[in-house]
Amino acid sequence: MRTTGALAAAVCTLMLAGASTAAEGDLTLGVPTALGTIEGQDSLRSAQLAAQEINAAGGVEVGGKKRRLEIVSIDTREAEAGIPVFDALAAMEKLIAEKKPVAIVVGAFRSEVLLSAMDMIAKVKIPYLCTIGMSPDFEKKIAGEYEKYKFNFRLGLSAPYLVGNLGHMLDSVKKKYGTDKVYFVHQDVAWAKGTVAGLSKVLAAGGWKVVGSDAYPTGARDFSSSLTKAKFGSAQVLVPVFDMPESGVLVKQVHSMKVPALVAGFISPAAPATAWATFSGDIDGLVNFLFEPGSIPLATPRSQHFTEAYAKAYGEAARNKLSGHGPGPSYDAVFVLADAIRRAGSTQADAVVAELEKTDTQGAIGKIVFNKTHQVIYGEDPTQAAVSLAFQWRAGKRRLVYPEAVAEGAFELPGK
Amino acid sequence: MSREQAPDPGRKAAVGPSAGVASGLRPWARRERIDRGIKARSDDISVLASPRDLAWLLLPRTLPIAALLVFPLLGGLTGSYWQAVMLNTLVIALLALSWDLLASVGLISLGQSFFFGIGGYLAGILDTQFKLGPLVGIALATILGAVLATALLLPLLRLRGIYFGLITFALPLLLMRLVETTGALGGTEGMSGLTALPNRTVELYLLIAALLATVAGFRRLSASDRGLVLHALRDNDRAVLAAGFSLPWLRTQAVFWAALPATFAGAFVTHRYQFVGMPAFSIEYSTLPLTSAVVGGTGGFFGAVVGAFLLVPLSELLRGFGSLRVVVYSLVLLGFILVLPEGIFRFAARKYAQEERVVPLGEGQECPPPS
Amino acid sequence: MKVLIVSTLIYGLVQGATLMLTALGFSLTFGLSGVANFAHGGLYLLSGFLAWALVNRLGMPFPLAAAATVLLVALLGAAVYRLVLRPVRGITLSEVISTFALGVALIEGFRWRGFTTYDFSLPPFWPGEVEIAGVSVDRQRLAIVGAGFLLPLALWAFTHHTRVGLALRGMAQDETTALAMGIDSDWAATLSLSLGAGLAAVAAVLLLPLGIISINTGYEVLLVALAVTVLGGLESTAGMIVGSLLIGFAVVITGNFVGPHLSEVVYLGALVLVLGLKPSGLLGRSKEIEERV
Repeated sequence: MRTTGALAAAVCTLMLAGASTAAEGDLTLGVPTALGTIEGQDSLRSAQLAAQEINAAGGVEVGGKKRRLEIVSIDTREAEAGIPVFDALAAMEKLIAEKKPVAIVVGAFRSEVLLSAMDMIAKVKIPYLCTIGMSPDFEKKIAGEYEKYKFNFRLGLSAPYLVGNLGHMLDSVKKKYGTDKVYFVHQDVAWAKGTVAGLSKVLAAGGWKVVGSDAYPTGARDFSSSLTKAKFGSAQVLVPVFDMPESGVLVKQVHSMKVPALVAGFISPAAPATAWATFSGDIDGLVNFLFEPGSIPLATPRSQHFTEAYAKAYGEAARNKLSGHGPGPSYDAVFVLADAIRRAGSTQADAVVAELEKTDTQGAIGKIVFNKTHQVIYGEDPTQAAVSLAFQWRAGKRRLVYPEAVAEGAFELPGK
Repeated sequence: MSREQAPDPGRKAAVGPSAGVASGLRPWARRERIDRGIKARSDDISVLASPRDLAWLLLPRTLPIAALLVFPLLGGLTGSYWQAVMLNTLVIALLALSWDLLASVGLISLGQSFFFGIGGYLAGILDTQFKLGPLVGIALATILGAVLATALLLPLLRLRGIYFGLITFALPLLLMRLVETTGALGGTEGMSGLTALPNRTVELYLLIAALLATVAGFRRLSASDRGLVLHALRDNDRAVLAAGFSLPWLRTQAVFWAALPATFAGAFVTHRYQFVGMPAFSIEYSTLPLTSAVVGGTGGFFGAVVGAFLLVPLSELLRGFGSLRVVVYSLVLLGFILVLPEGIFRFAARKYAQEERVVPLGEGQECPPPS
Repeated sequence: MKVLIVSTLIYGLVQGATLMLTALGFSLTFGLSGVANFAHGGLYLLSGFLAWALVNRLGMPFPLAAAATVLLVALLGAAVYRLVLRPVRGITLSEVISTFALGVALIEGFRWRGFTTYDFSLPPFWPGEVEIAGVSVDRQRLAIVGAGFLLPLALWAFTHHTRVGLALRGMAQDETTALAMGIDSDWAATLSLSLGAGLAAVAAVLLLPLGIISINTGYEVLLVALAVTVLGGLESTAGMIVGSLLIGFAVVITGNFVGPHLSEVVYLGALVLVLGLKPSGLLGRSKEIEERV
């Protein structure tokens, strides 16, 4: 019976450990997301940073009284292939039932989870500010049944905007260098396939020739076939769309196979500032996309403040590893929400939602204004809209090359 | 079984060879297990005479069943969250039972999610193509799924033990990859918006009925003549072969019966969440039943259920800890294999029915023959 | 077109060597002691992170760190046998489950501790590229091809021409006779597990520099090892070489001429096919009667 005794003791300890420690009068914000991913981890920390700053300034003003913000989180593990949607939702359900947050920030990582979470939010009726999931169906659902889904807002980049921005960026390359042959290499998952499909159409309309397009299952570690075909087909621009760690192999292989094309797209391992050291210079000339500013800030005071405060709170190393998707909008989301609660004078969901819709402020990601379907508007000028950034690795540094309003220099084709 | 004489109070109970005795013989001690008095008394018809003995005999069997049957009606007390946990527990228990039957035949399955996924996808296909309603759909998916799974495993049933384990480990992953790359059956997004079950009570009773039927059925099977032959497959398949049985056919039967609760579980889950996708083949549906069966005790089928009822709520409590959850139950699994391989249920059942004691051998008694 | 064919040949060879290295440790342990070490993937991952830690936290030069990693993981393999496998030796079910649980605990342990960021990378032994008939290959991949063929040969020589190796083979062929000849079963099993773990570490330090270390590699490696071992056949070095080359080329040819999205399915399909038709593997001989009943 020793073993069962030990088991029982362990269970009791865990139950006690899970007990809530929030003080009375605190406003709780829930963060149910894939904490096992860097996007999730960094977004959580950004949200916590924002909460700390608000509390340091006295807290959120709700109808005359100042209340502290408290962030609670749960790991939905939804990024792992074996976790089904309902498992991730069960985690979110548990968070809502136990901690009773007044709103959710950061939100779901995977599109399927995001869309199903919208249904849960429609029942629970608390504001949901997502910053990671990118599916366009998010806006479609809100447009289709506004009253039901009006509690959902998105501050992160959406897939249609990504396609648009990538298209504009590639067109600037074409305008400058006259390149017109492109090869796509992407991950065999819904968002990447959708992005490439959309981008192919946009580019074909713009006069580009798509030399090839290959899909790789998650976990693939040899990209020689695509690279050979790209080299063989004289592709001038290689567009990768990956967020799996194994795409690090692609980065190294492009270099070792001496593919003379400009690599411009989205490879998550090559995005953080530490990537130069990780890949020991193999990424020179690679153009990578940051979905939102954060890892590289805009020249605005608010954006600069975010990166510096993050470094102060979590260390330079953490700041250098910042993911390119999630931290910026998650930081802004907390401020946007706090401000909406202040203007509404209460935490009552309908009132807060009404105020959220009227948001018009400068954030770390640029100007934050929601469109009719509760998506932050992204554009090319940070004074008019939020922006996505593209940078090129050059001599160990990330140089912003897009959009023109913030570019530090022009694209440079590889002189290999 | 005869009662032992109580040791002479004048003689100290000796443990080990070092205690001295006047006679000069080295007294040894041995540990023996004997049935408890109450077990001896309740082994035959006379149990009916004593309510206490009757209770001792029947309560462990009837109390859990009664509790299970009553649980769905206590919705107000438990809340919907714990009802959801119960549903998950029952699903894992069904998979664990399925695993247990396979293990009792000598086939170690490292991929119960294979059956689960097949049942789930079939339910999804039937629902989207034929719209038969959840109950009929689940029933059909269960049977067709078991047939399909058995057919797919047929060529591999000639393999022994470990090879079966290897292939069952790889099969669900292969199917997951196939779905991912071919985009068939909904591809990476799966099939959603399927028909739901009428209500939570129906869901619970459906699973409980399935669980009780499976336990009863499997135990019947094991106790029957056919069951005896199936067990012999695990112990010494050459002997069974020599007795003139066809081993592949026997294994096929075992796989079919084992597949039924697993495909049922898959079809049920599809309709419960109105969704089926690649995660139906995930490794969690293989490891959790495996762990439950080992923790509870393999063979006998009760152990698998007990293990599931212990592990799934524990895993639920650990949900807030992310991947630590998986680490914990793999370590639990490892610990149990090494320390308590007979499993909690066997251990508990043994303690319930038998007691252990150290019996000294006195003068004139010989050492027991080497066992 | 010629370039594509040359590329297929070269990268097919690379892929085959990669598979071989990955599977070598697992196959050796399985062949020599009958233990399917499902912790193989976990040990591979552990080796990668250990080497990284030695280089980045202790500042060791990479070759030294690699050697140290191999040694440490080999010792760990011996410990795994003594602590985890010896109590359950002979009970196949328990052996499989305990190593499987250990492997999962290792892999998920790393994930829980946050080793999921992108900065875990190992430097290659030989940086730089070489051009062969118009196709550029990096030297590390060539080194992998070299190791992938030399190591099995070395192991073959070890198990056929040294006393220790012959003792291990004897134990694998007939345990009772080997015991009668004075070969200790425990010692043989410890050694074979230690060798298997060490080979997993060798594979890790050679293969991981190609990209960055990602947690899911733990599961992938196990799958590949299973596929190649079963395909090639136990106790047959030639079978393993043939099997790896077959799958390697199949993957690359599928990738080059059909589409990379199908390449991952190939080796799993091959596994199922071979097991269905010839369970002892392509060139396995000794256990054929044992497997089919």
